[in-house]
Amino acid sequence: MVIDRRRKYWNEPKLGWWESFYLFEVLRGLSITGGVFLRNMKRWMTGKKGALTAYYPEEIRADYARHNRGKHVLTQRPDGRPQCIACNLCATICPAKVIEIEAGFDPEDPAHPKYPERFEIDYARCIFCGFCVEVCPEDAIRMVPTVPGLPVPDRRGGMWLGREELLTWQPARDPAKPYPPKPVSGNGGGGDD
Amino acid sequence: MPVIFINGEAVDTGEHRTVLQAALANGFYVPHFCWHPELSVVGNCRVCLVEQEGRGVNIACNMPVVDGMRIETDSETVRAQRKAMLQFILLNHPVDCGICDKAGECALQDYHYAYNGEPALSREPKQKGTKFYPLSSRILLDNERCILCSRCVRFTREVSKSNVLGIEYRGDSALVRPAEDRTLDDDPYSDNVIDICPVGALLSRSFLHQARVWYLEPTPSVCPRCARGCNVQLWHRKPEWRLKGLDPAQNTRILRVTPLENPRVNGPWICNRGRDLGEVLERPRAEQALQKGAGVTMMEAIEATRALMAESTRSIALVSSWASNEELRAFRNALGDNFTSFVKPDRLPEEGEVVEDELLIRADKNPNTRGAQALFGSDPPEIPEDADLILVWGEGVDFGRLPRGAKTVFLGSWLLPEVGHADVFIPLSIQTERRGHYTNFEGVVSAFESCQPRPEGVIDAETLFPLLAAPGAWGRG
Repeated sequence: MVIDRRRKYWNEPKLGWWESFYLFEVLRGLSITGGVFLRNMKRWMTGKKGALTAYYPEEIRADYARHNRGKHVLTQRPDGRPQCIACNLCATICPAKVIEIEAGFDPEDPAHPKYPERFEIDYARCIFCGFCVEVCPEDAIRMVPTVPGLPVPDRRGGMWLGREELLTWQPARDPAKPYPPKPVSGNGGGGDD
Repeated sequence: MPVIFINGEAVDTGEHRTVLQAALANGFYVPHFCWHPELSVVGNCRVCLVEQEGRGVNIACNMPVVDGMRIETDSETVRAQRKAMLQFILLNHPVDCGICDKAGECALQDYHYAYNGEPALSREPKQKGTKFYPLSSRILLDNERCILCSRCVRFTREVSKSNVLGIEYRGDSALVRPAEDRTLDDDPYSDNVIDICPVGALLSRSFLHQARVWYLEPTPSVCPRCARGCNVQLWHRKPEWRLKGLDPAQNTRILRVTPLENPRVNGPWICNRGRDLGEVLERPRAEQALQKGAGVTMMEAIEATRALMAESTRSIALVSSWASNEELRAFRNALGDNFTSFVKPDRLPEEGEVVEDELLIRADKNPNTRGAQALFGSDPPEIPEDADLILVWGEGVDFGRLPRGAKTVFLGSWLLPEVGHADVFIPLSIQTERRGHYTNFEGVVSAFESCQPRPEGVIDAETLFPLLAAPGAWGRG
């Protein structure tokens, strides 16, 4: 006696009467495939989105969700210097420890004596959690929907983006907050403790 | 011995004279800014408030111990007044912890979170101060962060006795400033004010913005720059915060040096020379064994040394006073019979350096002269003209003055001209790459730990000496 050792599932497929003719099912499958083909063909001919594969990284899709956390940008002061004060909170909170900042000292600007000389993010290890954006006390780092043009693995064994590339973000208008920020007048007044 | 009651517990105050000392020694924490165990009591910060039953709230640092007194360190009244006091101290403080090097080990930051935790009640604009006043070539002063506890002023008056600092003007215009005719550059202990500053007002120029302090960890070590052998902490990056994208040399660098309190050696202080340990330890290293200036492997260099030792009839060793007790003992056990050994000073006082003073600095600029002399005698080095093999261990020997005919074996760590002149050169590890002990001039033994990886091609002296003496080396001679 042959013992069927296969496990029995509650939703074991059963061949119905109509399916047992096969031919109709084959035709149904062909019609689904053909329908998708014709729909994409129509989208392509009328120039609608969703029809084509984007050839990443040469092409970057235009239809990322508005809140997609694709890559980091560093915001700037009105004079073009980074808003970042190199406090290292983003580097400290980063679960993957991918942010590394080399701080510089500028005694000429007593309001912002510390600034990032270098600001490096390793996209090979970044998990795009957005903690760095949340923790930043200066709104200096944000994430934008577009993904970085794929950085190539470099000598340092990662995919590092540096300060220059992160500072290229210069939108004319920021939907979330006024950007660029207004210049702060000389007397800072009482900050909150 | 008076017995007092702190928070209802009976405490034997021992030799402590004030309530604050008695409380701290018995595990009752009382916050304090201006009080420092080594400095006089001024009682100007007024956060060490405690309540004495029947007498009300007062400062613990200046409250003499009276037998049977009852103290509350954390009553409702104390908490409210302490909170008000912190509000007052923070009145003109910029609260720029994000860019302050002290953040993470700052007393004001800790107390604010522990005892206050509220935004400022005042709506007055904060008083502006000088941001980066150059106190000396080593120290910057941020007057906005200063809370005028006067610890630095008392340090220069009572400990270093240079009387450089003082406070000028009054009220919220008061500023810590050097005296008109003095500069903090004259004070060889000036950097201690950076450590004792309870906030980030005094900043070390060499450590400025180098790293947030929570990225660093200390390794206990001993300062090798004089015979005092001050116990120090070498701060370097924690392994988990290793840099991968930036300069990897930062991962092993000594970023700052702070004193490690040891009442038998240095108390809580060290001198500025000790803070600059990097300029001695981080000199370019020699990492390649050489034979008459040509690169050889470590085994070849050891073989060559053994051959020289086998041929020689009169061997002299100049033993390093920078070597640890363990290495010195290894040398005596393995090679003591083959060499006539003398202890030599590796380093002599440099120009412009304080040679000796009453506080810490000693004239002998080597850490372990006493340990070495205990094993090899204290006779000054005396090299006979007929010596045919001279083993030089450590720097400080002028090869031009050695007898012409003698072969030289040089054991050293740094890239010096002698490295290429010696017949055999063997690179040794330095203090931060191994563990060991130094005996200071008073006979107190202090331990140091390793905190840096040993470079490829470098050998520990403790490993080397048994190899030089391995059996078989003498049979051929």
